[in-house]
Amino acid sequence: MPTDTKRVRGPEVSQSPSLFLCKNAVKKSTASNDARVDGRQRGQVDVRSVFVRCGLISQAKGSAYIEAGNTKLICCVYGPRETERKDETDMKSGRLITDMRFAPFSCRERGSWIQGSDEKDLSLMLLESLRPGVCLQKYPRSQIEVNVMVLENDGAVLAHAVTCASMALVDAGIEMYDLVLGCSIRQEGATYLIDPTFLEENGYNLASGSRENLGSLTVAFLPSLNQISGLQSDGEMGEDTLTGGVRTCIEGCFKLYPVIQQALSKAVRRKAPPSES
Amino acid sequence: MATVQVSEAEKVYILHGVRDDLRVDGRGCEDYRHMEIETDMVSNTDGSAKVTLGHTDVLVGVKAEMGKPRPMVPDEGYLEFFVDCSANATPEFEGRGGDELGMELSNTLYKVFNNRYSVDLKSLCISPGEHCWVLYVDVLLLQCDGNLFDAISVAIKAALFNTKIPKVHISEDEEGGKEIELSDDPYDCMRLNVENVPCIVTLCKVGHRHVVDATLQEKACSVASLIISVTHKGTVTCVRKVGGGSLDPESIFEMTETGKRVGKALHAPLMALLQEEESLGKKRQKVGFLG
Repeated sequence: MPTDTKRVRGPEVSQSPSLFLCKNAVKKSTASNDARVDGRQRGQVDVRSVFVRCGLISQAKGSAYIEAGNTKLICCVYGPRETERKDETDMKSGRLITDMRFAPFSCRERGSWIQGSDEKDLSLMLLESLRPGVCLQKYPRSQIEVNVMVLENDGAVLAHAVTCASMALVDAGIEMYDLVLGCSIRQEGATYLIDPTFLEENGYNLASGSRENLGSLTVAFLPSLNQISGLQSDGEMGEDTLTGGVRTCIEGCFKLYPVIQQALSKAVRRKAPPSES
Repeated sequence: MATVQVSEAEKVYILHGVRDDLRVDGRGCEDYRHMEIETDMVSNTDGSAKVTLGHTDVLVGVKAEMGKPRPMVPDEGYLEFFVDCSANATPEFEGRGGDELGMELSNTLYKVFNNRYSVDLKSLCISPGEHCWVLYVDVLLLQCDGNLFDAISVAIKAALFNTKIPKVHISEDEEGGKEIELSDDPYDCMRLNVENVPCIVTLCKVGHRHVVDATLQEKACSVASLIISVTHKGTVTCVRKVGGGSLDPESIFEMTETGKRVGKALHAPLMALLQEEESLGKKRQKVGFLG
């Protein structure tokens, strides 16, 4: 098992002081039932405004950076390249390899550089969300690598990773059926919080009395084809709440669509050779 | 996952059959295969169960150990899951081959149980902040013929039902230190309430319809599946789409409804069966691994 021999780690039993801080902060914050901490509304499709830019990393075939509130992610795409492991070469279609990592300083508590099981799980879900969108049969015997690095985790990481990765794939010139957009929602009792922040995701600003119907839901959606390519939910919800949540996430994706399209057309225009006139 | 290669003609045959609600082995789209459950098979564990679903064989062992509770929730115990895909199941699992699948299964199990109602974690507390029961749920895949999630979740429910956690008493000795005493009576133990433990239903999209409990051949004809975990009340604790294809939102809503219906109907007969097996007590004939 790979161990991290380059860094001096703290003692195993030490705990971060932030664990004890958070509980006091929650009691003081006014749990007003309508407004969320950053001014958005509960129960409305109010996604955070995003800043996206493509083509940041010169070495990569394609890259994208997304910022939504305080969540910052960067994604690079390399490929199509020859498959490294010859025994896994597929004659008929290409392979998509995804890797999602958190920088150790990205979350409230310091993480480790070694990929934990959470990161492997997120990488797998990212793969399942992106696969239906990419025309892999046009790249036989090749592999396309997508690497996502989370620089700051302020909630809805998987959803934004999906959006960022599909932008990076487009920037790399990989043929796709459609953009894949991600949206995340946190269900609390009767209302929902779309695109939750880290604190909201982990239930710190609970409106009083909402013990039922507590869960999170992430959806990856292809807008033009109206297909869901990724769906993951957690916590416990009734079936109607789940259905309603999926519909809300789809609405959130539609809201994001024009912004991403605009950013991509800007990036393509920047890359294009200047017209002669 | 262990896969079989299916020819195009075979795929068409399966698709047409599913369209008419008639699968290759004669089942309807929402029928399970023959399921056999036996508990208390491994004497070294605190609880164990073996489930055979068609040709899929799963063995679950639960061991209770004392540990330190998590700092955020000092008055609760917790569960740890580990799934091992044994090389007996299929040659693809030899060496590290089964690790990826095992990791995927464990992660999904964590998500399924990541809520306040499935298992009463407060009952696993011994002394807040210092000691608690940690239940290590270890799953072993013996044979793999599709539909692993369902078999594993039923086996976990049966094993947790069968788990006997010894009762402990905390006493203070002279210097003020705490002493933990285990009662001498081996039958003096605490049982878990597994009413709210969810069961997982896997729905595979084959053609325009979806099937429950798909065999490996049917899995090879589908591009996407939906895993939904349902409690006996009908609440959904985890939904996940697996596979490399995409699904229409309407299909997802249909599949969720079917999954909820099928999952809800699974709990009552399962609990009745487990209680019947328990009531047989010493008279029960053990079938074991060769029956």
